[in-house]
Amino acid sequence: MRGKKFLTVALCAAMAVSLVACGSNGGGSNGGGGSTGGSGKGDGEVTLLNGKPEIDTQLQALAKKYTDETKVKVNIQTVGGSNQATASDTLKKDYQAGTMPDIFVAETNQFANWEGMLADLKGEKWTSNTDVEYVDASGATIGYPYQVEAHGMAYNADILEKCGVDPTKLTSYSAYEDAFKKIDAKKSELGLTAVVDYGANNTNLGWSTGTHLFGHYLDAGLAMTDTKYIDLLNNGGQIDKDRMTAFAKFVDLIQKYADKTVAVNGTYDDQTALFAKGKAAFVTQGSWFGANLTSNDDYKKNSFKVGIAPVAFIDGINTILGGPSSYWAVYKDGDVDLAKAFLQWCSEDTAQQILVEEAGLVSPFKDCKYTAKDPFAAAVTKYMNDGKFSGWHTFIKKDGLQNKTGQVFQDFADGKLDVDKFVSTMESVCKSYYAS
Amino acid sequence: MNEFSAGRKAVSFLILLAGIALLVGALICDGIASSGGYDFGGRGAMLVCGILVTIAGIYLFPTLKHHRTIVYGLFLFPLLFTFLLTVIIPMCFGIAYSFTDWNGIRLTKVVGFNNYIAMFRRPEFIWSIIVTFLFVLLNVILVNVIGFLLALLCTTKIKALGFFRASYFLPNLIGGIVLGYVWKFIFNKVLTQMMNTETSMLTSSGTALIAIVVVYIWQYGGYIMLIYITGLTGVPADTLEAASIDGANAWQTLTKIKIPMIAPTITICTFLTLTSAFKQFDVNLALTNGSGSVNFFGNYITNGSEMLALNIYHTAFTENNYALSQAESVLFFIILAIVSIIQVRTSNKKEVSL
Amino acid sequence: MNRKPKTSALVIQTIIAIVIAIYVLFPFYMVVVNSMKSTTGIVNDPLTPAGADFKTFIGNLSGVINNDYFLFWKAFACSVVITVVSVLLLNLFGAMAGWVISRNQKKKWASAIYFTFIASMIIPFQVVMLPLVANFKKIGDFIGIKMNYSIPGIIFAYLGFGGAMTVFILTGFIKGVPYDLEESASIDGCSPEGTFFRIIFPLLKPVIMTVTILNGMWIWNDFLLPSMMLGLDGEFKTIPVAVQSFVGSYVTEWNMIMAAALLAMVPMVIVFLFAQKQIVQGMIDGAVKG
Repeated sequence: MRGKKFLTVALCAAMAVSLVACGSNGGGSNGGGGSTGGSGKGDGEVTLLNGKPEIDTQLQALAKKYTDETKVKVNIQTVGGSNQATASDTLKKDYQAGTMPDIFVAETNQFANWEGMLADLKGEKWTSNTDVEYVDASGATIGYPYQVEAHGMAYNADILEKCGVDPTKLTSYSAYEDAFKKIDAKKSELGLTAVVDYGANNTNLGWSTGTHLFGHYLDAGLAMTDTKYIDLLNNGGQIDKDRMTAFAKFVDLIQKYADKTVAVNGTYDDQTALFAKGKAAFVTQGSWFGANLTSNDDYKKNSFKVGIAPVAFIDGINTILGGPSSYWAVYKDGDVDLAKAFLQWCSEDTAQQILVEEAGLVSPFKDCKYTAKDPFAAAVTKYMNDGKFSGWHTFIKKDGLQNKTGQVFQDFADGKLDVDKFVSTMESVCKSYYAS
Repeated sequence: MNEFSAGRKAVSFLILLAGIALLVGALICDGIASSGGYDFGGRGAMLVCGILVTIAGIYLFPTLKHHRTIVYGLFLFPLLFTFLLTVIIPMCFGIAYSFTDWNGIRLTKVVGFNNYIAMFRRPEFIWSIIVTFLFVLLNVILVNVIGFLLALLCTTKIKALGFFRASYFLPNLIGGIVLGYVWKFIFNKVLTQMMNTETSMLTSSGTALIAIVVVYIWQYGGYIMLIYITGLTGVPADTLEAASIDGANAWQTLTKIKIPMIAPTITICTFLTLTSAFKQFDVNLALTNGSGSVNFFGNYITNGSEMLALNIYHTAFTENNYALSQAESVLFFIILAIVSIIQVRTSNKKEVSL
Repeated sequence: MNRKPKTSALVIQTIIAIVIAIYVLFPFYMVVVNSMKSTTGIVNDPLTPAGADFKTFIGNLSGVINNDYFLFWKAFACSVVITVVSVLLLNLFGAMAGWVISRNQKKKWASAIYFTFIASMIIPFQVVMLPLVANFKKIGDFIGIKMNYSIPGIIFAYLGFGGAMTVFILTGFIKGVPYDLEESASIDGCSPEGTFFRIIFPLLKPVIMTVTILNGMWIWNDFLLPSMMLGLDGEFKTIPVAVQSFVGSYVTEWNMIMAAALLAMVPMVIVFLFAQKQIVQGMIDGAVKG
């Protein structure tokens, strides 16, 4: 009897000890987080949520360097790349969980979600060094530009040269049609799988078609600040039918010369593999694709020159989409001071070297003296300097629309829709999405 | 009556007091910390200690009369406490949120039944309800028929029965996410190559749904088989022998004796597949993520293979519409509740008639 | 007649059984074979073992094990800790609660608790998932113990969600344990808690086995709850969460995904090989009684 009781007490005590251990662990790591604020972390840690998997390694290196210099630890978390785990989903869960990172990636149309929760970065030293930071309606600087990106028809310059295609002349539908025909004729000679490496599977590449390619409908050929078509879209999901029809015809041309399996089922890796092997002349990806190329074994063995041409679905379009595609924002209840210091450091020489030369980002900062080794960097810089950037207004369409329009692109590629149906479906999808 | 020594009494009161003091202290620290004051790092540990010491104090409370009641209370406490915090309270909040404009970050106003009205105006949601019901119907029939046939096969006299039973059951051990990706590979890479087709089954809504059914049967058939085997082996051997002496053939034995005798098993299996098919989520997420287009009453919708559970998930996390998602899940709960009530009714009737 | 089935029937049955077995085991074969190939190997021929070699296999495995999103050993350890602790506590607390309920079944409060538990079994996780995460954050902030993204937090949640089914099965069993046993112990001067731990609890062995298997399989394979409570990018991940995080991050190289799937399957298959009878029995009992 006694013994039993003793055993029970002992068991309870053992459980208590373990529970207390759990409790104190949890308590320790939670210190200062969430709503308690104020007290600060003390051990100096900054967490950054990155939405660009292709530069994860380089950011880790950047973080390490910063820790070496300042003893402040920087944690890089990376999510994104498919629509199953996006940075913005993660952030919403993080917010619920009270584990918000101090700095996180935000696309232009996501800033509204965080209204009043972001630190104003106005007056930071780096702001005088760039023109492309994100300033909200109230005049607060809430987005730190960490890169400039561009999207157009990326091409393999070597293949174009072999086929006698001059990329600078690719500014009309007919020019593209001729070029595709020429390349197609030499397909077997050059060992190409397809002329265009196009991926439109909504699950895998909806972000590529639904956001980037769709962005050309909104902005291609327009001045940076021209918001005609995005205003139309944001006003109840209206589209310009003529422009959309021209755009649809161009997409139709692309998919006529694409590999259907990759176009309908392919993943980002399938797209990369095809282009990196030199088995396609064009690819519907932007400047970030350079990072995937340079880390690809086939490309390392057999590199080639690349460039970017306009998505010229109307005669005379000679611009590509450019600007920061996303920003870094600072969470107000996080460690703002440490975050600010880290961002300032990122705009300076040491960090810029890593970000530009190693991560292959195109710098938005005026005094940056590095040129990315990235194969697309020169092309992007040239467009930027020539003033041939059109805006990224695709990022201020209603959040989530790309999941719907991406499906329209997939069905178009699969042959379930023709040009007219594509246009009418696009219209109804946009209208109903804006209505809900 | 009271046989506790003064010392023993004092000790137990002291423990109880210490526990309460720790609890109150921890709560005061919590209050200070959450109102922005000093954040005492050990307050979590203090709270846990407080709870445990209080429990010990209550347990040692010097009474014989009420000791049994105290023990009952203490025994019920752990599960009731966790149950209250993880199920009951969130459930109440969840229902409440469905009447507001909560977006996961903020809540500004109460909107009444607006979310429920909006939900039924969404062709995407209506479609996913239809798909779910279709899927459930198809699965309940197919899984049960196949499970039953497998059970018949696995109660014959063939060799290596143990091996066959084990391998048919094996898929049931694997989590839905993992096997979802495995099958995605098979549909996208292997089958396209074997059939020499350009597009995989997963890219069109219709075939994608068939694919989900195939995977579900693959995963669940073996489990249902096991239950039917138990039912079939419970059919008395002398009944079967009597039938064979009377000259019944295999088909007659099956339809006249075996199936009627395992009626309760059939009920169990039906409801088991019913509820699990309704809740299907992991495989749906991994295999298609709900994609696929459908022309639904003139609306072009892009969630052709999305079932209810996944639709609720996407409404919250992709569309950022937490309140609407909450309303959808309340409807989901109502559907499941109706199914369960029918289940209870039917099984009760069966038991009475047996 | 039934005793000696025709050989031809036996042969046909065996062939059918083999064909089905091939279909059922085919995905497992795919996983094993393709986790031994390179990306090009899979593109060239996903079906046969051609192009599979042991060196690539080791390469793929170590690539997955050390991948930042997967970290197999850590995920494995998390899964084990969460599953084992949750199951043990559920067994103990479930038996305690089940005993109290079954010994007071005529009293109103006991049946009220019992029916609340049963009724809660139909609540789909979706209804509570969003408020749960929000709640746990607030509670965690208030009491200073991290409840989200923490292992004690998710174990706590499993106790809440698994409690109903556990209590239901255990109460059903304990009702069948004769009351005389306890009465005689009580007359011998044994305290109620002593009676429970010394007499009742050891009798529950078979049903504890059932509950352990049902809860164990559920918790081990569960995805939605840990994906909410631990997060896809959190510090701790269970194996299903790690797989989703690994695939969902950006890896779409199928050889790596197959290697990850293999790693995720192996522990369960090994357990099955050793405890096949118990698992099968547990699953059947769970279905028939639950």
